[in-house]
Amino acid sequence: MKILIIEDEKELAKDIADYLSGENYLCEVAKTFAEAIDKINSFTYDCVLLDLMLPGGDGLSILEMLKKQHKHEGVIIISAKNAIEDKIKGLQIGADDYLSKPFHHAELAARVHSVIRRKQFDSSNLIQHKELSVELLSKTVSVYQKQVTLTKKEFDLLLLFLGNKNRVISKSALAEHLSGDMADMLDSHDFVYAHVKNLKKKLTEAGCNPYLKTIYGTGYKWEA
Amino acid sequence: MGSMSKLLNKPFKAFTLYALIILIASIPVYYWAVDFIWLQELEEHNDIIKQNIKKQFEQTQIEENKLKDLLEIWNQLQPNAQLTAVKGSEVRADFVYTTIKKNEYDKEDGMDRFHGLTSYIFINGKPYQLLVETNVEEADETLFVIAVITFLFFCLLVGGFIILNRRIAHKIWKPFDDTLNQLKAYELSTQKNIQFQESNIEEFEELHGVLNKLIERNINTFKQQKTFIENASHELQTPLAVLTSKLDMLLQHEDLNENQSNLIASIRLPLSRISRINKNILLLAKIENEQFAENNSIDLGLILEESLDLLEHYIQEKDISIEVNRKDSFLIQGNITLVEILLNNLLINAIHHNTKQGKLIINLEANQLSFSNSGIDALDIGRIFKRFEVSSSQISSSGLGLAIVTEICKRYHWQIDYAFEDSLHHFSVKFQKF
Repeated sequence: MKILIIEDEKELAKDIADYLSGENYLCEVAKTFAEAIDKINSFTYDCVLLDLMLPGGDGLSILEMLKKQHKHEGVIIISAKNAIEDKIKGLQIGADDYLSKPFHHAELAARVHSVIRRKQFDSSNLIQHKELSVELLSKTVSVYQKQVTLTKKEFDLLLLFLGNKNRVISKSALAEHLSGDMADMLDSHDFVYAHVKNLKKKLTEAGCNPYLKTIYGTGYKWEA
Repeated sequence: MGSMSKLLNKPFKAFTLYALIILIASIPVYYWAVDFIWLQELEEHNDIIKQNIKKQFEQTQIEENKLKDLLEIWNQLQPNAQLTAVKGSEVRADFVYTTIKKNEYDKEDGMDRFHGLTSYIFINGKPYQLLVETNVEEADETLFVIAVITFLFFCLLVGGFIILNRRIAHKIWKPFDDTLNQLKAYELSTQKNIQFQESNIEEFEELHGVLNKLIERNINTFKQQKTFIENASHELQTPLAVLTSKLDMLLQHEDLNENQSNLIASIRLPLSRISRINKNILLLAKIENEQFAENNSIDLGLILEESLDLLEHYIQEKDISIEVNRKDSFLIQGNITLVEILLNNLLINAIHHNTKQGKLIINLEANQLSFSNSGIDALDIGRIFKRFEVSSSQISSSGLGLAIVTEICKRYHWQIDYAFEDSLHHFSVKFQKF
């Protein structure tokens, strides 16, 4: 899987590449408008992460170009502008998702995961992880073909973990994933603990191996 | 400062006082003038009488022996004139005088002023003293009449002043009052200059010119500041994103111990607070810049349900009992993003500042949305809607949530109110009827 990161902030681009590289993703970075155009014209990617403010041009015109060429790259806009107009315009032109800075890498990874899955030709709506299988359309989870009943929030958390295998996800990233923008307005993220505990319990009871680990009470990790 | 009075009343008082002084001063002047003319006229009058008598006696030939009797009768019939025989040595030049003496016909005080003329005429070659006296209006009577008339005129003058003053004040100050009202209603945040009404008064036109320039300068400063704030928070977004990213990366290290892990978590809290404040500042700038122009019909009930669903766990965590009263569903006009922010901020506020096991009552009815939550003390109404005014001891709030709510309400002319009753904070928004 090839991912192009179009981002002028060097450190951020490097971190995204590092974080995503773990799961068979191959990451390339373009730091300027020209470099991005160059790469898009020469190679094919599965997913493009697009910053809107670039030296040399507007990120939205890269998006327009991609769509004109009928390329199948999934595009996720990552912008500091957080302008609702840009978001609407970006999605109208054909971006698959929009994430405003600052964001958690876990959230980005989950979205990349989801975009790539949707773009695949053999787009199966099934995620299989050893004894665990997740049916995305019906939102059902089964362990050894035996169905486990999860709440909507537990299901969302499970998807986030499966998109971030072997990565530590902080409680605040989980809270934001569940409550969206509102999470950072309320400081207590303790409710996350209850949801993760329930998810863990339900999976273990169904006979699933304990992949989900607690890291010193500050975060969680799905060890595959 | 002393007591305040209207600008036109100041010259009015001075004018009145000046008129009073002048009119009082005019009383003796009038009196002297009138008296002088009187006496002049009477002198002439007495002289004419004298000439008349002289001519009559000179033309009429009267025998000497009859003359004495005749003079006696004449003197009795003519009380104003007296003819008395005098010796030749007593003849002098004409003499004019004024005297006050008893008047038998005056029933009131019996005294009257007389202007007299003493002259000498010759009848049959013998000298006679002629005394002509005419009643003159007395000084006090003249003075009194003049004073009364003057006072009447003074009253007319003052009355006229008052009426004119009022009319003029109303008329000439109208453009000024209009300007004043426009200035009172002015808000810099609209970033529009005031169109003052044209006036044909030079001073007002000058004032309007100066005010327009002043407002223009303020608008420019305001714009600069806003651009600065917007740019500053834009510039902050990227380093904040890098910081968040680095913390995420740090968390991935295999050999982190518990202390380090806790440290990362405790750095994340203030960091997310900075991000939130920064986002809110940007949001405020955008609302003020009249972005979010798109308008939709919005079902508040729907948004409320979604938000309650997202915040469900926070409500459970605080063990808050929630009560939602929805009488009828109604649509409001506005930008969906802004309406969501408005509702969420009020809802989060009601959860955040709630007590443990407190109450949360949400009423949605008849163009009004209200949130009531348990609390201990009333908040300072003068401060809660201002920016960065944290009116409770909760340290974690950004102090901008209600400022954003206020800004959104201002934009759509919705009315936001706060009250504290029965240990409940009530925040309500009245939407305009459509």
